[in-house]
Amino acid sequence: MTIVTRAGRTLLLMLFAGAGTILLVRFAPGFFSDSREMDAKYAAAARAEMQAQNNQQPAAPLIVIHEVKSWLHGDLGQSRQYNVPVVQLLGARARVSAVLLARGISLGWLLAACTALPISRLPQGGLLWGAPFTLLLSIPTAAMATACILSNAGGPVLVLSLLIAARDFKFLRSILHGAWRSPHLLQGRAQGLPAWALLRMHILPNVTPQLCALTTLSIVTALGAVVPIEVIFTVPGLGQLAWSAVMNRDLPVLVAVSLLMACVVGFAGMLSTRTVTLEAA
Amino acid sequence: MKKRLPAAILLLLVLGGVVALRLSRYDYAFQDRDATMAPSTVRHWTGTDELGRDRTVRVAAALLIDLTGATVAAALTTAMAAAFGLLAAFSPRWVAAILMFLSDAFLSLPWLFLLMMVRSVLPLTASPLQTAVTTFLVLAALGWPACARAIYRGALVLRSADWMIQGHACGLKPRQLIRLHLVPHLRPLFLPQFLICIPAFIMAEANLGALGLGVAEPMPSWGAMLQELDNSTLLARSHWVYLPIALLVVVLLMLESFTTEAETHA
Repeated sequence: MTIVTRAGRTLLLMLFAGAGTILLVRFAPGFFSDSREMDAKYAAAARAEMQAQNNQQPAAPLIVIHEVKSWLHGDLGQSRQYNVPVVQLLGARARVSAVLLARGISLGWLLAACTALPISRLPQGGLLWGAPFTLLLSIPTAAMATACILSNAGGPVLVLSLLIAARDFKFLRSILHGAWRSPHLLQGRAQGLPAWALLRMHILPNVTPQLCALTTLSIVTALGAVVPIEVIFTVPGLGQLAWSAVMNRDLPVLVAVSLLMACVVGFAGMLSTRTVTLEAA
Repeated sequence: MKKRLPAAILLLLVLGGVVALRLSRYDYAFQDRDATMAPSTVRHWTGTDELGRDRTVRVAAALLIDLTGATVAAALTTAMAAAFGLLAAFSPRWVAAILMFLSDAFLSLPWLFLLMMVRSVLPLTASPLQTAVTTFLVLAALGWPACARAIYRGALVLRSADWMIQGHACGLKPRQLIRLHLVPHLRPLFLPQFLICIPAFIMAEANLGALGLGVAEPMPSWGAMLQELDNSTLLARSHWVYLPIALLVVVLLMLESFTTEAETHA
C-alpha cells in the first residue's frame, strides 16, 4: 500500500472517528444536563427545557456536516466554561503538552534502551532485572504521580518517562533478545566484531520497523497518561484542559481535545505502517 | 506451578474481602461521625476516611467491585472481539475490510479521552451503581478492537488449514465448523486476550477514579480510594491510607503474572 493510500486511509479514519465522537456527545443522555437538574425546586422545569432543546436538534447527518464544516473553517466552537473560542484555549496548552510528551518519551526511551540493551545479551536472569519495570507497570499513573508529590521527588517528566520505560522495556528486551541470537549476528560475533559495530550495522537496521511501531505505542501510552499527570502536577496542558472540561461538562472543548488526540494517534500510526511498508518493499 | 501462587494469593484476597464484608457490622457507606479520620482502633481495624467510613469494609468492597467489574467487562470484550474477528475472517473480503476499518477507527481514539467523554455525558442524576456499570461497560466497549484484530489474524490462518478444507469437503456446515473445530482451536487465543483485559481495565478504572471520573461516591472503588492520598491530614494520622494502593499493586502484579504466562503459551 502506498504512502498516499495510507494517508488517505488515516484521514478517512479520523473523519469517521470525528463523526462518531460528535454523534456520541450530541445524543448522549447528559448533553443538555446542567446543575439545575440537581435542584428539586427547578428540576421539573429544567428537565422540560432540556427536553425541548433536545427536540430542536437537527438530524444526525446535518449535525456532523455542520460541525465538520466549522472545523474546516478553523472554528472549533465556543468553550462553555471559559466562554472563549476553543482554538484559543488549545493553542497555548498544546505547546505545554507537546514539550512534556517529547521530554517524557525521550527520557523513557533512553531509560528503556539503556536497560534493555545489556539485559537482552544475558543468557538468563533477565526476569529479575526486569522486575522493577514489572512493578512500575502495576502502579496506576495517578498513584505514581501522587507518590512523587508526597515524597517531594521528581516531576511530571519523570513519571511519564518511568511509565514509558516500563511499557517499552518489555518489548525492547524481546526485540533485542531475538536480534542478538539471529544466525548472522552469531556469525559476526564469532568473527570478533565489536558489540557497537554489530548494533550499528546489523541490529538497528533490522529492528527499525519494530522500533517505529514501538514509538507509536509510546505516543499512545503517553497521551493516555498525560491527563492524570497534568492534573496531579497542575501542568497547564491539554490533559488538564480535558479534565477541567469533563468536570465542568464543557463538551465543545472535550470533543476538540479528543479529536486532536485522535489525529496525533492517527499520524503516529502512519509512522509505523509507513516504515514497515518501506522495509517490505 | 508458576500460576498456582498468584492464583492462591488472589483467591485469598477475594476470600478475605468476602469475609471482611460478612463479618463487619458496618456498611461501606456508613459514616461514623465520632471517628472521622481515625487511626487503627478496635472498632475500625484499619481506621476510617474523612467521613468516618470504615476503611477495611471499603477496601474489601472496592476489591470485589473492581475485580468483578473488570472480569465481566473482560469477558464481554473477549466475546465481542471473538464475534467481530470470526465474522470478519469468514465473511467476504469487503465485509472484513469494513469490520477491520471499524476496529481501526476505535483504535485511533485514545482510550482515556473517550472514557472521560462518555463519563462526562452521563446525566448528573446517575446513581453510583449506574456509574459503575457504565464505567465497566464503556471499558468493555472500547477494549475489543485490539483483541478482534488478534482473533481475526488467528482465524484467517485457521480458515485455510487442511482440516478445515477437509471439514468443508465432508459437508460440515459453517456453524458446525466454527463450533466443533474453530472455537476449540482459537481458545488458546481467547484466554490471553481475556487475561490481558482484566488488569488493563482495573488500571483504567483506578486512573479514572483518581481523577473523580470513575465509580461515583459512596460506592467504593480503587480509583476513588486513591483520592485519599491527596489528603495530607489523613496521611499524617494513619499509614493505613496506603492500604488500597498496596493491595491494588499486589492484585495487578498477580494478574500481570497470569498475563505473561498466557502470552508465553499463546
